[in-house]
Amino acid sequence: MYSLALRMAWASLVRRRARSFLVVLMICVSLWGLLVMQGIYDGMTEQMIANAIRSDSGQLSLFGRGYRLDPSLDTLVGGKQTDNAGERLRNLLDNDPGVRSWVKRLRQNGLVATAHYSRNTEIYGVDLDREDKNGQLQRYLLQGEYDFGDQSKGAIIGFKLAEKLQVKIGKKIILSAQDLNSEVTAIALRITGVLKTNNLGIDENAVFIDLERARTFLGVEQGVSQISIMMHDDQQLTSLQQELQYALPHLDVLRWDELYPALMQSRVMMKGFSLVISIMIFGVAGLGIFGVMLVSVLERMREFGIMLAIGTSFRQVRIIILAEALFMGLTGLLAGAVCGGLSLVYFKIYGLDLTMFSEAFEEFGMDAITYAIIRPDYFVTAFAAVVLATFVSVYFPLRLLRRANPIEVINAV
Amino acid sequence: MFIQLAIRNVLAYRKRSVITLLLGTVSTALLVFSSAWMDGSHQQMIKNAVEIYSGYIQITGEKFRKSPSFEHLLFDVEKLQKDVEAVAGVEIFSPRFEAFVLYSVGEKAVGGMLTGIDPEKERRISRLYSSLKEGSYLSNTDTNQLYIGNELARRLKLQVGDELAFVGSGADYSFAADKLIVKGIFQTGLFEFDATGAFLAKPYFDMIMAAGNLATHGIVLPHDTQQVDILAKKIGRKIGEEFQAASWMETMAALVKSMKLDSVFGYITLGIIFTVIFFVVMIYTLLAVFARIREIGIMRAVGTTPRQIFGILLLESSILGFISVVAGGLIGAVFAYYFNVHPMVFSGMEEQFKQYGLAVSAMPTAFEPVTILRDMLVMFVLLLLSTLYPIIKANRYQPIEAMHHV
Amino acid sequence: MRYCLRIFCTLSLFFTGGFILIFSQVLHAEDANDIIEKVVNNLNGKTAVMEISMVVKTSRAERTMKMKSYSIGQKKSFIKILYPKKDEGITFLKLDNSMWQYVPRIEKTIKIPASMMLQSWMGSDFSNDDLVKESSLSEDYDHALISETDNEYNLELHPKADAAVVWGKILMSVSKQYYLPVRVSYFDEDGVLIRELLYTDVKAYGKRFYPSCWVMTPKTADKKGHETRITVSSAIFDTVVDDGYFTKRALKRFSR
Repeated sequence: MYSLALRMAWASLVRRRARSFLVVLMICVSLWGLLVMQGIYDGMTEQMIANAIRSDSGQLSLFGRGYRLDPSLDTLVGGKQTDNAGERLRNLLDNDPGVRSWVKRLRQNGLVATAHYSRNTEIYGVDLDREDKNGQLQRYLLQGEYDFGDQSKGAIIGFKLAEKLQVKIGKKIILSAQDLNSEVTAIALRITGVLKTNNLGIDENAVFIDLERARTFLGVEQGVSQISIMMHDDQQLTSLQQELQYALPHLDVLRWDELYPALMQSRVMMKGFSLVISIMIFGVAGLGIFGVMLVSVLERMREFGIMLAIGTSFRQVRIIILAEALFMGLTGLLAGAVCGGLSLVYFKIYGLDLTMFSEAFEEFGMDAITYAIIRPDYFVTAFAAVVLATFVSVYFPLRLLRRANPIEVINAV
Repeated sequence: MFIQLAIRNVLAYRKRSVITLLLGTVSTALLVFSSAWMDGSHQQMIKNAVEIYSGYIQITGEKFRKSPSFEHLLFDVEKLQKDVEAVAGVEIFSPRFEAFVLYSVGEKAVGGMLTGIDPEKERRISRLYSSLKEGSYLSNTDTNQLYIGNELARRLKLQVGDELAFVGSGADYSFAADKLIVKGIFQTGLFEFDATGAFLAKPYFDMIMAAGNLATHGIVLPHDTQQVDILAKKIGRKIGEEFQAASWMETMAALVKSMKLDSVFGYITLGIIFTVIFFVVMIYTLLAVFARIREIGIMRAVGTTPRQIFGILLLESSILGFISVVAGGLIGAVFAYYFNVHPMVFSGMEEQFKQYGLAVSAMPTAFEPVTILRDMLVMFVLLLLSTLYPIIKANRYQPIEAMHHV
Repeated sequence: MRYCLRIFCTLSLFFTGGFILIFSQVLHAEDANDIIEKVVNNLNGKTAVMEISMVVKTSRAERTMKMKSYSIGQKKSFIKILYPKKDEGITFLKLDNSMWQYVPRIEKTIKIPASMMLQSWMGSDFSNDDLVKESSLSEDYDHALISETDNEYNLELHPKADAAVVWGKILMSVSKQYYLPVRVSYFDEDGVLIRELLYTDVKAYGKRFYPSCWVMTPKTADKKGHETRITVSSAIFDTVVDDGYFTKRALKRFSR
């Protein structure tokens, strides 16, 4: 019974080859475009967020209470509150099942100088191995080596800072800063690497030095300015935040989106934007299917009239019509999903290179090469949207048919 | 004769006409409004960035932009002012002197900018005055009264009426220091700016900073903000080699470029939507033309040439296209105009705008008839193109074939 | 066989040559260290009380300042501005690596923060850092005597690996007669001359000889036409200097 309905639907589609093909093509192309657009835009947003998270905030960051408002060496994590605060913190973070990895950073603002130029800077005392495990910092290396060299006398600096100071790998820089006792101290380092994180704050201001060197330099024996935490599962973000805040009441535990609220807004905006565009596209596509189905039903009013008259149930007729619509919709969906999926895979692997706009990308804190993201829900949404559009588009023609009087229809020319 | 026939057909096949019209109208309105929205928001962002502080045209010493030191100042500002004001199209010229100083309150010392401005002129060339948050704005006769950025004031824990001190270098490199009283606190929304900037009335500033008749920047407000580039060049020619007159397109090159990039993405998105609309219009035309295939066959049989039929059908599409484009253009234009006069407000988005150095939440659309006409033309061509395939296809049938087509 | 002999000869030549080279380096290095040591001592003395005037010339203008300075060795010094009138009473205190400033106009003592260390001192071509780090010539550099003339030693100073100094190299000419510097040239790491300091007009102050005129000339393009000339009008060396000058309280007390 179903096979007859399907055969009839197929026959009807084949008979109107051109328009069936157009509908399939329309769905395919619109879906293709939509998928690529979503994947690329999401890729961009997520890349921006990932840059900020990996190079700075982690998913969660721990700061001494009030550090964010008034950053100073007096407000440290695991500083002087108790003797083994650092130890306890380490145990807590190492044993927490939600924490994938974490890094310590000692930060202080200061001055970086060469014989020609001097600039204000943010000094980061870091552990390079851990940073790489935590946020793959090494991937951001633009020039030089991911290493502080012999006796850790090296420094890795942001590429914009390097440009402003006009320094290259191997050149000497002098860092000066106030130490824990507010004494001005200075240190000579050689540039071993240049970073491009696309996190503007870091690219323009940061000088990364060895954590232990930073400790002696700044006279900070224990404690750090920031602990940046990466999680196994970022769905648990708020619960881990609460858990850590409970365990560490004297610290500020902040989520990445509290540290970079603009990025969260970008993500929300991008989602809304995608939704609006999707609705528009599927709405219009639905209109296309609707037109074709309406005409297809109207053309065959007589045919259906006869079928109903000789005892075919309305349900069967409905199945024929639905099958016809679904056939087009799903073929288009499949074609579009395959084209879109393949394009996304391409852009995921090779990226979309927009180097000609790189200046503008830097302004936004984005990478010039965008790697697409592929989420299953793109396809699920597309499937649901196409099916929905199909059903909606046959609703009116079916109603028309149901209301029609078979005898009249048969007698109409 | 053709036109009458075409009009008759358009009226006769109402369903096709209505849907094509609807689609054409909606998509034209969408395109017109989207362009207006994109252009408008970009213009607004740039306008804000320009108008909050940096100004449409900046005049500096020739080398100042590359190496901003007191060596490359504007010397003899009075003469420069006369020269610049003599250029047609210049509304206001206002000098500023920016100096890096150390602010100090109690034990706390924070580096920042101290800038001498002409309070009256500054009112018109920047938003300093309208960004007043507490206290009051400067006047020309003020002495050690400071107008300070909100974040800087917070860092130094200052309220209106509080005292602070600064030390720095005067224009002649001499030592400069003074006690200042907070007269007003401003907040432009540009975090960096609010966290480092503070202002004094220039007469007093000149006295303590030895900056009489000197300036780091001259800001020009043009009569017509659209013609800034040309005006900057004109001023440049007038004031000579030792100065540099740069329009905002130069001083904010990165921002301009990022807005372009945003437009590119916007048009790509619209492109995808229009592809779908293109197909839908094509499908409807196909349906409409094939509904009349017998009629076309008969016309052919009685001697109408394929070219004539092609002409009639194309004319029908043109009429529909024209009507929908005009209607859509009008609707889009009305919306563009309405939101131009009553800008949309995005109160939740400040953070994101601030990240790009923009302090706005209200976004007016652009209302530019030329752009609207451009969009209408684009849509018209698109609508015509989408009907070509069905028309050609229908025309390919032999008369007999067509007459018997079911 | 003959071939081997030749290699042996070459090798021995090489080694002896190398040895002599190394030996001469060591010899010079020791000499150079002595010279620098003497120079630094001669410039600072155990204590010094001086009145100096400083003329700062730029491409546009010229300013004159007068000041009095008190110092013990290299680590402690106190400076008070006497002229011009508007800056009178500004005092500076340097202890080790830190510097404070008292400004009577704002009745405030300010500790010069790290970010201001490389800023110009009182608008001159000396930086705050120059004042703080003047002692570092002997500590922060490796010294080598590269040549000598009848009147002068020419020394080359290279910063030690750990030394926090921005220069790549310093060339110093020292007068053999007084063991005082004549000319000090500062280079960046690429060997580009950044600035030059000349010491002239050596005069006798008590038992001590001292250059009474110092001229600092920046050589970079953005400081063209700049010059700072310090002239010593009176100097008393090695007397007892009140330790009370070298406290933060002194900044305000001795301001008047």
